Amino acid sequence: MDNIEQLIAGLSKDAQVLKPAPRPWLLGLKWLAVAIAYLIISLAISGVRPDLLLEFHKPWFVAEIVLLAGIFVSTALSAAILSFPDLHQHRRSAFAPVWIFALFALVMLFSWLADNPPSPLPVHSFECTISILLFSLLPTAGIFYAMRQFASTHLHLSGSVAVLFAFSTGALWLRLHEQTDSIIHLIEWHYLPMIAVAALGWWLGKKLLRW
Amino acid sequence: MAEQNDNLEALMRQSLAGDQRAYATLLTETTRLLRPFLSKRLRFSNEVDDLLQEILISIHKARHTYDGKRPYKPWAYAIAKFRLLDHLRAHYSDKLRHAIDFDELEENLHEHVTESEMSYESISGEVQKLPEKQALILQLMHQEGYTAKEVAEKIGMNESAVKVAAHRAYKILRERLER
Repeated sequence: MDNIEQLIAGLSKDAQVLKPAPRPWLLGLKWLAVAIAYLIISLAISGVRPDLLLEFHKPWFVAEIVLLAGIFVSTALSAAILSFPDLHQHRRSAFAPVWIFALFALVMLFSWLADNPPSPLPVHSFECTISILLFSLLPTAGIFYAMRQFASTHLHLSGSVAVLFAFSTGALWLRLHEQTDSIIHLIEWHYLPMIAVAALGWWLGKKLLRW
Repeated sequence: MAEQNDNLEALMRQSLAGDQRAYATLLTETTRLLRPFLSKRLRFSNEVDDLLQEILISIHKARHTYDGKRPYKPWAYAIAKFRLLDHLRAHYSDKLRHAIDFDELEENLHEHVTESEMSYESISGEVQKLPEKQALILQLMHQEGYTAKEVAEKIGMNESAVKVAAHRAYKILRERLER
């Protein structure tokens, strides 16, 4: 008991005026703003696909982009909520990306059914996954650095969500840059790797977000 | 109850504004709040104290993530639960590392592991350097005179495991003392 009293005395001497962390939605919006800036700069450098305006007339393409953007936004907000020990007492919001992912999977399924006759497969394959991964490295480092400033108590989940946020930035960039319409290719090399990446994030979260 | 909650939130707000006395009161109240929660889940009171200290340090480190408008208790309990799970994970992985090897157990059963040629007092310094559980077993057996069976009952292990732990402790002590 004496030890605890001594500890309390020591800690209370350390009490100084401390600025509380911003609210999670503000924090999430801040991270989103940085990621959007990175995306815009990257697209400005690499260029957007030449038929982008035409593609926006296709409902399944629009649905795919909207939901991919939904994943991007929801993972940023979820990562911000997960950075707080008590999830800022908004537990349900932290799990919002799950629903967006389910909708996204459904849209990809319908897009695949609608892709008849199927669009030709591009000549490349895994290069897309590599490109997305390389593009996501900087956002991954950034989001982990930012989350380490807080105190997550859901390390695995936070890691997965953080990496998915970074990966969805990369997936958005490639979808707006690369002129590919083969749904099979998109599922196989753009979106399925998200599962592996989430598993990697699960492990990274435990390693990098300890405090 | 609602008043106590209001108090905790007010104390936390004052603490974040740099009020040292409010912060000391808050940490004392938090200790009072968390002790029964931990006592229900941990066997030894020294474990509870150690973990409480760890939780208080965590609360201190994470206090900027409390914004003063949310209830304090769920925030503090989230940190306590996180540290408790961490502690239990470490405890059980340690237990697995020291799990009984049945072949070794068979080899050792014939030995009188509760008897030692060394006097406890003369080696108590070395005993304290042993892993916590082994040191406790030797202390109970040789300083307080419990049998292996009684020690097993007291600390919730089975008798064979106590004997093996004691035997391992003797081996370590013998090696250290022969050096």
